[in-house]
Amino acid sequence: MKLDADYFRALETPRLARLAPNLVAAAFPLMKLMPARFILDRAEASGELKPGAHIVETTSGTFGMAVALLAAARSYPLTLVTASSLIDRKYQARLERLDATVVAIDDPLGDGNQTGRLKFLNNTLKENPESFWTRQYDSAGNWLAYANLVDILVRNVGQIDFLVGCVGTGGSLCGTGTFLRQIFPDLKIFAVDTHRSMLFGQPVGKRMLRGLGNSVLPGNVRHELVDEIHWVGAYPAYQSAHALFRDEGVFMGPTSGAAALVAKWVASKHDGATVAVIMPDEGHRHADTIYNEAWLADLPGWPCKHPTEPETLSRIRPAKESDWTHFPWARRRLDDVLLSQ
Amino acid sequence: MVETGNLDSTVATRKPAFRAGKGHAIAHHGELLQGVFEDDAGRLHRGLMTLPLDRIRSVATFKITETARIKALPPDRTKAETAARLTLEHIDRSHTGGDLVIKSAIPVGHGYGSSTADVVSSIRAVADAHDVKLRRSSICRLAVAAEGASDAIPYEDQAVLFAHREGVVIEHFGGALPPLLVVGFKAHNGTPIDTLGLQPARYGSEEIQLFRILRGLASRSIRFQDPYLLGRVATVSAQISLRHLPKSRLDVALQIARQHHACGVQVAHSGSLVGVLLDAAQRDAWTKALDLAQTIRDAGFKDVEIHSVNTEEALENET
Repeated sequence: MKLDADYFRALETPRLARLAPNLVAAAFPLMKLMPARFILDRAEASGELKPGAHIVETTSGTFGMAVALLAAARSYPLTLVTASSLIDRKYQARLERLDATVVAIDDPLGDGNQTGRLKFLNNTLKENPESFWTRQYDSAGNWLAYANLVDILVRNVGQIDFLVGCVGTGGSLCGTGTFLRQIFPDLKIFAVDTHRSMLFGQPVGKRMLRGLGNSVLPGNVRHELVDEIHWVGAYPAYQSAHALFRDEGVFMGPTSGAAALVAKWVASKHDGATVAVIMPDEGHRHADTIYNEAWLADLPGWPCKHPTEPETLSRIRPAKESDWTHFPWARRRLDDVLLSQ
Repeated sequence: MVETGNLDSTVATRKPAFRAGKGHAIAHHGELLQGVFEDDAGRLHRGLMTLPLDRIRSVATFKITETARIKALPPDRTKAETAARLTLEHIDRSHTGGDLVIKSAIPVGHGYGSSTADVVSSIRAVADAHDVKLRRSSICRLAVAAEGASDAIPYEDQAVLFAHREGVVIEHFGGALPPLLVVGFKAHNGTPIDTLGLQPARYGSEEIQLFRILRGLASRSIRFQDPYLLGRVATVSAQISLRHLPKSRLDVALQIARQHHACGVQVAHSGSLVGVLLDAAQRDAWTKALDLAQTIRDAGFKDVEIHSVNTEEALENET
């Protein structure tokens, strides 16, 4: 390890923005740095990650950036495995500037080819047994890391009655929710997903909103924590992100927009309660897309009416990218909900 | 003889041969929080937040003698004797000795901190006899050196997170505890526990992460003088402690606390004491405490008492 590489700890420290009198947003520059640092620290302490060992992960998102920053600062070689359909040239260039090797697996179906990526990753691990896989999908370190966020929330907000957050790996919402509910047992947890993500029982399909939902089920998703599930389409998420920037000066990515949309609605329904919402990353990566009028104008059906209320589903089903739906999950296991459908 | 508990007093006119000092130390009612806590460098420290009880005290007197020998009374207070010796070394008077007499009203073996109180009152008495004012941090370090672990009672009502095996403050919460009424009683039918025979708890990753949050919540509760948040800290810490030192029927106490809208439940993490915490600033606080005490008695718990922490009544009684 080089110097104590803490100079970018501020990137994992959220700014707390009050979006309504009873609504606090934890707006992260790069939330995934919190679990990435925790997982690497633990692996270094236990000896599982040896100095200079090769780190591998399958990711196309911000967890890759977080591991790349840490790997560069701590002198670990890093390989990130992604799919050809998910390549973001500018993001890849930033990762490569941090000396990360980005491998794009062929993806003829356009579904992210997680199976192919895992196969490649497992081969790498077999060829090089000293290498270390950060395993953000099922490492306990992912959710345990979010005690840091709860610490920040309770120091600055005190009691919290509702928690709203996106689900991708399950780490941030389930970690924050697990800890926060131990402190405040009456806490209600609202999960935010997107149409055609399989996490909460929808059939898998092409998702327009990147960074939210999943086509496989990570072990870190704990359904039995969740009181209510919301599926937000790409368009209301974009509109909500635009509103966050325009009205609050908070410049975030579209997944944060989806979380804010649900959180504002929850806060408006529960006057006397305090709501906290997790917003995982900034808008800069999306400057050419969701913050670009020309790009937006090419979207089919854009502009569309911004939904002010979610449609309540009695049966779980996918909806249009302009829709926002929700379903009372009631802290059930996934199997139990699917059986009841 | 110096006036009670006044460490600042300088009595320069006393005849050296008869110089004596007096020191006191308060008891406690176990802890509001106990666990392991990370410092800025990522190292873990065992630490605790003491719930002070200032009505029960240990009082020590120390009379300087010219021979380098310390005689303690009662003679079984060997840790207090060690503390007196270490204090003389600390203030550079190790060529002198003295007669140390300890009178304590603190019950032994339940988690009231009787042993630390004797050690701390002795340290203060020795310093007082030599007209030296010790900082709280020095008293804590000396106490840990004398008995291996200490608690935060030298800080009295000031809320600190204290590394009890190192004798240093991990975090000053920046103020006093909010006013509380503690309805205290003893688990295990009041059978005393050999606190020094207990193995230190080994905490898991999730517990260590939870302690980080409890520390944050404790800080918030002191900053905003919120007894309810402090009660949550205590309750969760008590629940964690159950995994390491089981207390019979704590679930009953937790249920009674909920039914009575108490702030929470705290325990002595190495003792039999349990306390239900009430907001002393609320209307009819004492009536509520008496009612709660009766319910706890009716549930079959022993030695039910009401203590006040940082309340105005307590201050009036002291003066």
